[in-house]
Amino acid sequence: MKRSMLFLSLLSAALGTASLAHAAEPDVAGLIKSCNNCHGVAGVSVGHSMPSIGGLSETYLLNIMTQWKTGERFSAVMGRLLKGYTDQEIAALAAHYSKQPWVPAAQTLDAKLVAQGKDAIERCSSCHGDTGVPDEDDTPRLTGQWAQYMELELAKYRDDTIKMPHKKMRTNAKKLDAADVAAAAAHYASQKK
Amino acid sequence: MSINRRNFIKSLAAAGSVSLLTIPTSARAAGKGKVVVIGGGFGGSTAAKYIKMMDPAIDVTLIEPNQTYTSCPLSNEVLSGHRDIASLQTGYAGAAKRGINVIHDHVASVDAAKKTVTTNGGQTLGYDALVMAPGIAFDYEAVGGYSKEASKLIPHAYKAGEQTLLLKAQLEAMPDGGLFIISVPPKPFRCPPGPYERAAQVASYMKHHGKAKSKVLILDANDSFSKKGLFEQGWKALYPGMIEWVPGANDGKVERVDAAAKTCFTGLNDHKADVINLIPPHRAGKIAQQTGLTNAQGWCEVVPMTMESTVHKDIYPIGDCCIAGELPVYDMPKSAHMAITQAKVAAGAIIAKLNGLANPQPWYVNTCFSTLAPDYGISVVHVYRVTNNQFVYVKEAGGISPIDAPPLQRKLEAEYCVGWFNNVMADAFA
Repeated sequence: MKRSMLFLSLLSAALGTASLAHAAEPDVAGLIKSCNNCHGVAGVSVGHSMPSIGGLSETYLLNIMTQWKTGERFSAVMGRLLKGYTDQEIAALAAHYSKQPWVPAAQTLDAKLVAQGKDAIERCSSCHGDTGVPDEDDTPRLTGQWAQYMELELAKYRDDTIKMPHKKMRTNAKKLDAADVAAAAAHYASQKK
Repeated sequence: MSINRRNFIKSLAAAGSVSLLTIPTSARAAGKGKVVVIGGGFGGSTAAKYIKMMDPAIDVTLIEPNQTYTSCPLSNEVLSGHRDIASLQTGYAGAAKRGINVIHDHVASVDAAKKTVTTNGGQTLGYDALVMAPGIAFDYEAVGGYSKEASKLIPHAYKAGEQTLLLKAQLEAMPDGGLFIISVPPKPFRCPPGPYERAAQVASYMKHHGKAKSKVLILDANDSFSKKGLFEQGWKALYPGMIEWVPGANDGKVERVDAAAKTCFTGLNDHKADVINLIPPHRAGKIAQQTGLTNAQGWCEVVPMTMESTVHKDIYPIGDCCIAGELPVYDMPKSAHMAITQAKVAAGAIIAKLNGLANPQPWYVNTCFSTLAPDYGISVVHVYRVTNNQFVYVKEAGGISPIDAPPLQRKLEAEYCVGWFNNVMADAFA
């Protein structure tokens, strides 16, 4: 009797866990559909100013969304949205998008700028790599990201009125020649892997 | 699986909000339902696409009279000349490619009891679920002297396309020092900040095309408007002295119009103008009214968990035709973004129902940009939750762009607006 009860409770626990794990997946699928509006299906954006987010690292995505939510990092729009999501939902979003394949943006770039970019990224490559593949998980991947989006991010770091948390990034962004901002962005945007 | 993910699952289980959306292969094969979507705007096109994308076994038909869709979002930029109307247009090839049956026709009638839709062309289609997304209809008669015919002289330009180009031609032809009137109907109307963004785009045209002595006069039936403080700040910074707003309480409501004499009549005053842009009051699209889905105010009420009509089962009114949210302050705005998120909720609910699965948790989000100049954008954000079967506006989130934001934020938002537009067009139509 005792044993069969134990067996039953173990069985129901096992079944419960299995069905929960199965059931929770699609709920994230429901949540991410509201992100598709701006970031594209599977996080592949077709808007030049909007980053693709599918395939970025979980650590980076979790950090940046949390910083926006708490206000530690300036955002034009994202902070206002993320204040409506729980920390668990944000974590689930970061995990989900990190598992999507990275798809380089389909963009036309100025060949001259791309060429100029090879030297322009001197200050960027120690963290972001020569091709935009970073060593560290908390650093965003830049390979094939939208050039315009990256230019706008650099503009934020170069503007002291904008609250950005990363001192090293701020220092290096501000040291870039104004003429090199678009070139550095074009370089990383042009990379395929 | 990370710790956070596991916690997430636990929290879902604790909240009792576990639901299914990914359809098991076996259920998919069994779940061959028929869905008809009326209206191929942002809402209808998204609903059709997401149903087909998430469960290809469902038969989806989209009925839309026009071959080409012209986006209302960003159409004010056609007036300033910052954007070509072709950049706002798309066809239905994307839907057809997905296996959605696209019929270009008007819907003559819906029989909610027999669950059929009949087109003007005489085709009758049965449905298991009907998505009702006809957008809005204008109540022309609400303004004396106005009519569909009169809109060829005094455009509303509140359905983008020919009307937008007509208003643009009138703006181009007006003399320097002339008066351009925008008449705003009582709430609710589609794109709540639209008329005020339009004022900025019209002023931009005047400023840059030798008509800087001209004025925009907004005659408003309402006493306040979306992003009011931000608009007034932007108008003053970009177009000083060119835009004047008259609230309803100050005799702003246009009661009657004389199209030939180009004159608007409010309760106490006559306003003669060079161009009149008269936006008539709205209600839900005609077919929604005809199907009996509308309330006394002319809008379709819906069930928060599913977007299903409160009147007829298995009909899902989405987009501009529906009314939802904590009225009257936190109601869901009639925006493209809102229509798209409502469409995804309806799609999820329909798929779950046709497959005999639990209804998924709904998510409602709105992001709405207004562009006052190419480097000057502002926005409002809304996040909603469904609690105890009620739409609840999440007050900790959302809100408007800060009034004291650094100048770079205005530029960023103008750029993000374009990125948003490209992505929503792809999300709905690609």
